[in-house]
Amino acid sequence: MAKIVFEGVRKTFGDFTALDGIDLEIRSGEFLVVVGPSGCGKSTLLDLLGGLSTPTSGRILLDGKPVTGPGLDRGIVFQQYALLPWRTALGNVEFGLEATGVPRRERRARATEFLDLVGLTGFEDRHPHQLSGGMRQRVAIARSLAYDPDVLLMDEPFAALDAQTRESLQDELRRIWQRTGKTVVFITHGIEEAVYLGQKVAVMTSRPGRIKEIVPVSFGERPETAAVGTGTGTGTGPQGEELRSSPEFARYRHEIWTLLHDEVARAQQLEKEEASV
Amino acid sequence: MSTGTDTAAPAVRPAAPAPAGEVRHAAPPPRPAPDAGHAVRPARQPLRALGRRLRALSLRSAAILVLLAVWETAPRLGLADPTFLPPVSEVAAAWWELLGNGQLGRHTWASLVRSFGGFAIAVVVAVPLGLLIGWYRPVAALLGPLLEVFRNTAALALLPVFVLLLGIGETSKVSIVVYACVWPILLNTISAVGNADPTLVRLARSMDLSTPRLFQKVILPASVPAVFTGIRLAGAVSILVLVAAEMIGAKAGLGYLINASQFNFAIPQMYAGIVTISAIGVAFNQLLVTIERRLSTWRVPS
Repeated sequence: MAKIVFEGVRKTFGDFTALDGIDLEIRSGEFLVVVGPSGCGKSTLLDLLGGLSTPTSGRILLDGKPVTGPGLDRGIVFQQYALLPWRTALGNVEFGLEATGVPRRERRARATEFLDLVGLTGFEDRHPHQLSGGMRQRVAIARSLAYDPDVLLMDEPFAALDAQTRESLQDELRRIWQRTGKTVVFITHGIEEAVYLGQKVAVMTSRPGRIKEIVPVSFGERPETAAVGTGTGTGTGPQGEELRSSPEFARYRHEIWTLLHDEVARAQQLEKEEASV
Repeated sequence: MSTGTDTAAPAVRPAAPAPAGEVRHAAPPPRPAPDAGHAVRPARQPLRALGRRLRALSLRSAAILVLLAVWETAPRLGLADPTFLPPVSEVAAAWWELLGNGQLGRHTWASLVRSFGGFAIAVVVAVPLGLLIGWYRPVAALLGPLLEVFRNTAALALLPVFVLLLGIGETSKVSIVVYACVWPILLNTISAVGNADPTLVRLARSMDLSTPRLFQKVILPASVPAVFTGIRLAGAVSILVLVAAEMIGAKAGLGYLINASQFNFAIPQMYAGIVTISAIGVAFNQLLVTIERRLSTWRVPS
């Protein structure tokens, strides 16, 4: 059964149609990347899924039940990290657990465990301003994972990071995904990032946002399933630069680039027309 | 927070598996240096720290010492009329005398009760009210212009109104202090709530946090610095307004002491009162700064 289903979802803000006719199915444990030109309604899509706003028409099903509001079955990772600056790294991860009613002592243990998962052991007592951008986003990811949501919603989480940090976090995210088996919906405007991370890449059109095409991405040797508890997830296949410079990777990138190219041109045209009015 | 784990743990476990690309951006792991230094040369470290602190102290007090020196010498050299500006040593003697005969204590006590009382009432009223108004945006928009009018009406201009309504006793004096202190706290609190990072609010919402929880865990801590700015302003205002009020109608208080001394041509006593007031102002502000620091250690050192 599909984990998440969008059925004819439409979202308007006044006269402005942000999303129109979105039909989408996401399987449980799947890693879906949504890529599109800026202002195409990617973030609106995520807000709807996160229950932060409601569709104008159509509906979104999660485990077969319509989404009516936010919930701890979905964890959101924001581009701006959204860390509480007055709390330490550990305190920020605990923050996610406080909403769940986990007892205090267990919270601490769980938070420590998840900071370890994102590679931040030893940084528990640092405040966000003492951490680099990449580390802050790791804390945010740990926070979202700690309360164990089924679905991880990521809104351009690596967009504010420099290229090297971004690539290392991409690897980390894939590793975490394989280990935890979460369903991930990842929003980005980066084509490389989409190809590198996704099992499926949904390309969106510019305003109103529609799903133009869904491109399944697979690289021969790379394990494409979340290998939870099977013990087979150790062989990760080609990674990093090796994968990025492979001909298959280039082919996918070009395919998505072509799909996006027209949309970006159209979006810019639209913006120009609007600006001149 | 136990300092033991703070310093020891990260040194033993270095940056963990932070991948290569990121290491350079990471803040360096906590410097073990100061602690190691302590262990090796226990004697020199505190001495050097003491020296540094003394130097800082002398630098900070230099300007004040110069002021005092000028105050002492100018009247003696005839640069200022000693009748109207007696040398600081005479003022100090008068201050000592006022302290000895209990007058200074009595007047200071009267002033402190009024100004701290009014200030405390203002804090207790204005902070919760500000949080409430700030949270309900339409209310903030509705009341905003009105609050601006009140804030920009000099409190002392309303003193006659207060006296008219509440008489010349303690009530009117404390009330004017409350009135003057409420505005900076209220307006700062309202804007603090309004300026709370929207991403944090979205985060809390996405986690399905209830409104009271959101308030307690996100809005309140995020507002502390701005609220404290308002409270510090109010602290200064409370003394300022009170002294003026005491000059107009009072039988005790530092404002009265200053005014009465001038009236009786007891000029050194007048300056003694003024010096006491500025000392109270500085001390009060320092106290509030300390509390503020304590509450917002997490802030980026600026």
